[in-house]
Amino acid sequence: MASDALLAAPPRTAPGAGLLRALRNPWSLGALAVLALLVFWTSTGSTPAAFVYLWTWTPALLRGLLANIEISVLAVALGTVVGLVVGALSLSPSRALRNATRWYVQAFRNAPILVLIYFTTYVFPFEVHLVSWTFPFPDWIKVVLGLALPTSANVAEIFRGAIQSIPSAQWEASQSLAFRRTQIFRLIVLPQCVRRMLPPWMNLYASITMSTSLASLVGVHDVVDTAQIASNTVARTDFTILVYFTLLALFFAYCYPIARATRALERRHERH
Amino acid sequence: MSEGVLPQLVAAFKHVGLNYAFVLDISERQAFAHGLLVTLQLCLLTIPGSLAAGVLLAGLLTSGRPWLAQPARAFVEVTRNTPTLVQLYCAFLVLNMLITQQLQTHGGGNPLTPFVWVVIVVSLHKGVFHAEALRAGIEAVPQVTLEAARSLGFSRRQLLWRVELPLALRFALPSLVNNVVDLVKMTAVASAIAVGDVTYESIMIWTQRDNVLELLLLILLYFGLLTWLVSWAGRWLETRLRMPGYGQ
Repeated sequence: MASDALLAAPPRTAPGAGLLRALRNPWSLGALAVLALLVFWTSTGSTPAAFVYLWTWTPALLRGLLANIEISVLAVALGTVVGLVVGALSLSPSRALRNATRWYVQAFRNAPILVLIYFTTYVFPFEVHLVSWTFPFPDWIKVVLGLALPTSANVAEIFRGAIQSIPSAQWEASQSLAFRRTQIFRLIVLPQCVRRMLPPWMNLYASITMSTSLASLVGVHDVVDTAQIASNTVARTDFTILVYFTLLALFFAYCYPIARATRALERRHERH
Repeated sequence: MSEGVLPQLVAAFKHVGLNYAFVLDISERQAFAHGLLVTLQLCLLTIPGSLAAGVLLAGLLTSGRPWLAQPARAFVEVTRNTPTLVQLYCAFLVLNMLITQQLQTHGGGNPLTPFVWVVIVVSLHKGVFHAEALRAGIEAVPQVTLEAARSLGFSRRQLLWRVELPLALRFALPSLVNNVVDLVKMTAVASAIAVGDVTYESIMIWTQRDNVLELLLLILLYFGLLTWLVSWAGRWLETRLRMPGYGQ
């Protein structure tokens, strides 16, 4: 009975009230306030100088953010492939293989990401000689590799955890239904694993995206680097404040929806 | 370690292709040792700092008063979804600059060093994650237990300190230990604003000697040791605080 009371239907309201309620939520209120301010500034010609500078630097900042997103997507894609292989090996019957994967996972999960980025940036050469060709080995690819290492270790752990969270009774039950080993894995275990792995994997993606900000420390032209250049070029206190908080807002705008989606997925899976 | 052993060790490592000659230079050895110490100090200050921030934020989040819970929730969401490095820049390059400007107009120096800013930012950043773990723990405390405590006349504050937090701590301990491991790794961002931690001192050494791999192995070993210590302490606490039926 108590749960019925909690799930009571929303009260019926007049058609216009829905719009009013939507406008009352803090996000739309904030957006409206910003819009009103922008209209006021442009119509009266009183836009503060810091915002004028920010407007001219916005394309550069967005290009920088795109570099961060590219690095994060590539690093997570590479790390996921490697991590799934490592995670599968960590379940192998060979003891030596299991130990090796455990060391790999421990080493790269317990290493600071910044240190791994320094590692790949300074240990790898800036060019690769292959037979008679020379390929450049730019810093941003090294950062991708540096971020792929911790990603792979984390994906391996997520994968192992998901496989082990499937009750062993399911194996026995499906064996009794005459499924073959590969069929059990492909048709019964894996589909459940994917569903269990998705929320932690999305968390990992968001955290790797945030770690791409460290690329600025090894000289990659990302959004943080662009913000620093902008701040140094304009050299105004109010613009410096504005540009760094814009930086914060840009990362928030990209990562917060991912976090919200992750939580929604987690809640949906709780019911299963 | 006496002076006789070090050259032998360096020679032995040279044999396998690792150049640790920097430890024979007194100033570089001292710089590296100082870096190790600074990283340890950062950890020892940020761990209690983050726990305090976590308890405070968890208290605000579960206070049941919207005017306390909503700002705390906004702070948690912003901190969780933005990079530590950017937060550090916002604090050190922006707030610190404003404070310095204000103090200069009043004729004083800024007492806040980069080290202090790293401690503040990392403590708050990880405090948010602690708060979320504690909040989940608080929500996992059975309602019956709370009702029983309320019927015994516990006030809201007593309920939090004597019933909810001790039990929440047991539920949250595994994720708190995870967070502290993350925190130890996170102290490496201190090198971004030139706090002389182990990463920063290593960069200084390898730009002179070009022995990146050797120093990185040392850094990784050091962080491996620190995180191992944290997880060992965590396991010890878990067995120490074990209560049948509450957490593992």
